Amino acid sequence: MEKLTVRQPGGRKLFTRSVLGLLAIIMLVPVVVTILYSFCSPDEIDAFMKTRGNYDNALWMELKLSPKVFSLSQYYEILVLDMSILRMFVNSAVYAVLILLGQAVVIPMMAYALSRFRFRGREAIFFGIIMLMLLPFQVTMVPNVLTLRTIGLLNTVWAVIIPMWFSPFYIFLIRQFMLGLPNELLEAAQMDGAGTLRCYSYVVIPVCRPVIGAAIALSFADCWNLVEQPMTYLSQRADLYPLSVEFNRLAGSNAKIVFAGAALYILPALFIYLYFLNDILSGVQLTELK
Amino acid sequence: MFIRKKSVWLFLMPGLLGLLLFYVVPFFGGIYYSLTDGTYKNAFVGMANYADIWKNQMFLLGLKNTLELSLICAPLVWVFSFAIASLLNRLRPKGAFFRNSVLLPYLMPSSAMLLFWLVIFDFGGVINRIVVALGMERVMWLQGSQMRVPIILLFVWKNLGFAVIIFLSAIQAVPEPLYEYATLEGAGFLRQTFGITLPMIVPTAFLVIILEWINAFKIFKEVYFISGSYPDESVYTLQHYMNNMYNKLNYQNVTTAAYSFAVIVFALFGVLFLTQRRLLKRLT
Repeated sequence: MEKLTVRQPGGRKLFTRSVLGLLAIIMLVPVVVTILYSFCSPDEIDAFMKTRGNYDNALWMELKLSPKVFSLSQYYEILVLDMSILRMFVNSAVYAVLILLGQAVVIPMMAYALSRFRFRGREAIFFGIIMLMLLPFQVTMVPNVLTLRTIGLLNTVWAVIIPMWFSPFYIFLIRQFMLGLPNELLEAAQMDGAGTLRCYSYVVIPVCRPVIGAAIALSFADCWNLVEQPMTYLSQRADLYPLSVEFNRLAGSNAKIVFAGAALYILPALFIYLYFLNDILSGVQLTELK
Repeated sequence: MFIRKKSVWLFLMPGLLGLLLFYVVPFFGGIYYSLTDGTYKNAFVGMANYADIWKNQMFLLGLKNTLELSLICAPLVWVFSFAIASLLNRLRPKGAFFRNSVLLPYLMPSSAMLLFWLVIFDFGGVINRIVVALGMERVMWLQGSQMRVPIILLFVWKNLGFAVIIFLSAIQAVPEPLYEYATLEGAGFLRQTFGITLPMIVPTAFLVIILEWINAFKIFKEVYFISGSYPDESVYTLQHYMNNMYNKLNYQNVTTAAYSFAVIVFALFGVLFLTQRRLLKRLT
């Protein structure tokens, strides 16, 4: 590698760096600006948002980079005075936790069975999972609704939670990682007399830490962004909606605090991102669809 | 190493039961459902529902928009993510900051990020300032068919990172000597990218386009947040149609629409899959 860098003229690397630098700015600016605006005073943001939707060719919106005065009043309003955003936030958190807990039980076990065991019907089951993974939500919502209606769970929180436990994509993701585990590892555990179950919980799960971390992070991102599922499965129970569905309605009714609301909403996702970043980078080992 | 043991069913059971109960069995049950008329008697009507839906203007509009949007978005993400992954690979082992920042949007919730989008795409917003600085007329980005632009950009912004990560891990697995040899022969970065990297990662490229395509079929929430259940006809997606029918309790219609879409999706992916197989055969 050293030789290559010497041979290349320095200018080209500079080009690569500047393209990627520009890209990084585009990627980060929306998040950074949302957080910066959350420290504006409510009146400042209100005035700023009121200049939106003006179709006069002579007028511009103000170019606002940072708050005039650093203020925590927006946060004070959403956390203390009016807790409707906070309540939806708790709804979202409950959905995310219950979905992730169910997935933690079902998905790694299934991935383990499909990657390390030989049994009749294995190929057929895996093929079925791939087919399900390819189907968009518009299609899978129908079978989901049929079952949920039959067992009477439609319009309860479980209607959103239970179908997510069997997400085919995460079975696929974890299985691909498990296929790459070295055989010696499991053979050694079996030599030591570990049964299948012990082998699973004391050997397989710990070495799969990166992919499990990646799956948690990616699945959390899904849960935190649920819109279609609640809108259909909870169509008659709008009071059970998570923040992901309601945020824009709440934001529309009170422009003063939208950015603190958005920043609060982003915060858990930001923590998950920072905590699981390395797991995502090393755990996602998808190279082909089989 | 593979284990042959009966205990495999213990591991499979919870997931398999759930998949059968919530996806597979009702999927086949739904086929019968889509062939009945949905009245009290639930009479068998054959293909009548399908004949109806293929004449339904709103269904066709939603289907057309969803297919068009996904046909723009998936290839965009695909091309950009491959280019970015190749550039990132050039900087290796440095460039971690760039790589990490590309991944960040994937985890951000759409409805919170939409605020920023609404501000910059406003008629008096930053994007229009740039448009005017380039000597053009201001555009009403949030109305009419121009709304597709912010929707597509938001999709690309959000989904680019995950595709880059998948490409990057595949590119890093390409044997290093191939590049060293190519450099000795005098091949530049572009020739190496298209002559070595791309042919070596065909299966991954196929996987990425499929995953992005599935994601692009889901484009709905941003449109819904900007303009509700009945947006401009250029961004009325299939999900809008499904939700509106569902809320009118027109279940037969929803089921028929879903299965018609499933046939199209499988046909599309089937063609892609065959193309990939052909391509791989030709390369080896």
